[in-house]
Formats: sequence, C-alpha cells, structure tokens
Amino acid sequence: MTNLIRRDLIIQKFQLYLFIPCILFFIFAGSHMSAFFIFVFAGFFIPINAYSYDEKAETNILLNSLPYTRTQIIASRYIGAIFYMAVSIIITTALFYVFNRPFTWADIAIGAGITLTLFSFSFPLFYLLKPGNIGTAVTIGFILFVVLSGPAVIFFEEYLTPVVDFLVSVSSSAIYLSSAGIVTALYAASWIISQIIYQRKTF
Amino acid sequence: MGVENVIELRGVSKALKAFTINNMDLQIKQGFVTGFIGANGAGKSTTMKLIMNLLQPDSGEVSVFGLDYASHEKEIKNRIGFVYDSNVFYESLNLKDIGRIVAPAYKNWDQKQFKAYVDQFELPLNKPIKKFSKGMQMKASIAIALSHDAELIIMDEPTAGLDPTSRRELLDIFQEVMVDGKRTILFSTHITSDLERIADFIVLIDKGEILFDKPVYELQEQYAVVKGSTELLDSDTEPHFIKIERSPNGFHALTKDAAKVKEVFGKHVVIEEASLEEIMFYMKGVQNQYD
Repeated sequence: MTNLIRRDLIIQKFQLYLFIPCILFFIFAGSHMSAFFIFVFAGFFIPINAYSYDEKAETNILLNSLPYTRTQIIASRYIGAIFYMAVSIIITTALFYVFNRPFTWADIAIGAGITLTLFSFSFPLFYLLKPGNIGTAVTIGFILFVVLSGPAVIFFEEYLTPVVDFLVSVSSSAIYLSSAGIVTALYAASWIISQIIYQRKTF
Repeated sequence: MGVENVIELRGVSKALKAFTINNMDLQIKQGFVTGFIGANGAGKSTTMKLIMNLLQPDSGEVSVFGLDYASHEKEIKNRIGFVYDSNVFYESLNLKDIGRIVAPAYKNWDQKQFKAYVDQFELPLNKPIKKFSKGMQMKASIAIALSHDAELIIMDEPTAGLDPTSRRELLDIFQEVMVDGKRTILFSTHITSDLERIADFIVLIDKGEILFDKPVYELQEQYAVVKGSTELLDSDTEPHFIKIERSPNGFHALTKDAAKVKEVFGKHVVIEEASLEEIMFYMKGVQNQYD
C-alpha cells in the first residue's frame, strides 16, 4: 500500500519542482486572496495531479496486473490524498511563516475541509467517467458552478441574516466539530462509492 | 498421472459490447509453451484479460495455480509475469523509475536479474519510455516480467507491430527464457509463424470459441492440406475434410486425419503438411473440433 502512495511522488517528480514556486507566487502575488484559498490550492495540487495519471486505461491495466487488489488501489488513493494534502499544508504553513504572511488556524482548517470536500466529489466522479471525459466533466462542472452561483447568491442574501444569527448563537468549536464530522462522513461515503465503482470497472 | 493445469477456465461466459464468450473451457498445462492463436478480434485479448482478472466473468470460474481470484488475487499475481501488446508503463518515466514503482509490488523482485536483462537487451535506464522504439518497449516489458521469478508468463501479442528483425530477436529471447523448462508460457499472437519454433501446444480461438487445443506435434502429424481434382469429391469423400475450397483447377482442403486421407485417395491427391497459418485460415468459421 505504501508503495502505491510512494508511486505518486515518483510519477510527479518534475511537477513537484513547480509546487513551491507556485505557492510562493500565491503568497506574494495573491496578497488580496484569503489565506485559506492558498491552502486549498496547495492541498489539491499533488493528489489531483497524481489522479490525472491514473485516469489512463494503461495505468489501470498496469496496476491491476501487479499484485495489488482493487480495494488497495482505491484505499491508496484516499489515504494518499490525505497524506499529501497534510504534507502540502505543512510546507505551505512553513512558507507563510518564513515570508511573514499572516494566517490563522481557522484558515488551515477551512482550507483542509474544502480540499477534502472537493476530493470527495471529484474522485468517484473521475472513476465513474470514461478516460478522456474528465476534461469535459470539469468544463460542465465549471459552467454549472457559474450558472448556479447566481441563484445561490440570491438565496443566501435572502436567508443570510438568519444563518448568521444561528452561527453566532452556537460556539465556534461546535461549528468546527460538526463541520469536521460532516467532511469525514462525506469522505468516507465517497471512498465507499469509489470502491464500488472501481470493483465493477473493466479495462 | 495427468499433466497439471496452471490455468483453468470452466464454463466462462462474458458478454461485452461487441463480443461474447460463451461457456468457454480452457486448460493451460504447466511447464509448457502454449500458443494462443486466432484472427484479430477472435477473442484472444478478452480471454487473456479474464485470465489476468482485468475482466471478471459473468459466469463460470477462472483459476490460476489452482487458486481463485476472489481470495488469492495477490498471491496469483505475484507469480505471474505479464507482457502486453502496448506499453502500459508510465510513458513519461524512465526505466529506472518504472523499476522503482514495480519492484516493491513483488515479493520476489530480483534487482540483479533486472539489471542483467537491462544490460542484455541494451536498454537505456535514463530515457523516458515514450522515446523507446516499439521493440525496446517490448524488451523493457519482458525484462520486468522475468525479474520476479514468475512461474507463469502471460504475453498478449508481444510481437505485434514489430519489424521482422526485432521479432526474430524477441523470439530468441523467449527461447532462451524457456530453456529451464520450469516456466509456463501463454503466448497469444496472430502471427502464427512465431509459434512454430517455440510452442508445445496450440489453442485456436475463433469468434470467442475455442476450436481446438492440441500439441504441436499432433497438429503436424494429423493435419494436412490436400490438393486434388474436384471429381474426387462426393458425399462419401467430403467428410474426410474440415473445409474444402473449390476452384476451376481443383480443390484445396484441410483434413485432420492425414493418414486416413492417404488411405482413401492414395496417389490421386497431393498431401502437404499444414502450417499453423493454413490451419487457422481453413478453420475460420468452422465449429468446435474438440475430440
């Protein structure tokens, strides 16, 4: 299993050289951006890039011809994503610290939460799609996002006051705990769904 | 005592979009080289994928080393070396990095052995696989397949797309590998001449159906191409042939009982040894010849 996770590093050797410059670029050029957004980017980078290699049919033929089970292949993807996200966030935090960019623990927590939520939705979707269709899916997803964000803003404007009132009324630790619980449940559900999809996949 | 089977398919059915395998039985004998032949699209790759568990049968059983995939997947795959018709390794990586990815997957990986094959095949370690020629990619695949002490080597069209020189070279390598006689090799190809030198058994598949599974010597002894005048053909003599092709100059036919044909027709016909290619050609569209 650790072999499968380590594989992501070997495959992405060259892209990894881009990782730190990219984060530095965000730190310097993105001073207007929220810190949590940079954490999302950092956490997303390695696992999603690794995924783009696994999308190919040949890679699936290789992995499934080696002594691995399909369960292990999926598990390595989900455990690896958490592992690489954690390492990326630690490196980013260090860079923030070195370059005196202010951030809070809340930024890290929100960044990690959003990243894991994104993984939860994208992994099963990617396993479901045929190779080569992921680009289309991302485009459609983006259009949907643009189209739906309008009504969403109107919705929130209408209901924002009660929502804010509610959030203020509960303690922040309760919010963090329940968000952590929701993200964990989402990630676990996503893992199970990917597992079911992958078991039935033909190559 | 019978020969042990390394691979057994029992009543395997699999329906794919363009293709169906129906109730297939197949046994691959331990310690021999079995050539798996058939035209393009006959079902060779699908069968290979079923054997590798890349596809799961709709019904029936696949067992390898007497084990089933449901509970022994890792053990089975640890003992198999695979070579596919196209490159399955990350093409932007070099052979050194591919070795790093593949090696820890196998219990019995032998780095020295791998290095020895890399040297023997004159493969560069630091060049990305996508810059390899087709022949080099195949050799890289073979080097990996042979470096973990695999008992069973499964090769799906390893010579496809190679020029004659590289094919020859590859066949020499296979022959060398098989010398120790412990390994079992299943080798699919549509280029039948590849097998005449190295195979012990031949399995012929057409339209998802196994037409025969026979030792090479038996094919050579029993099968023959018969040529003669069409006047010799009638309802009594025709059953001696599997398939008959008629032309104004006479007939060409394939028989699986050369001795009988000789007895019946004597010197009125010309009897020639049938090459695998001729057997494959005449058998196309013919029903199961299992006996």
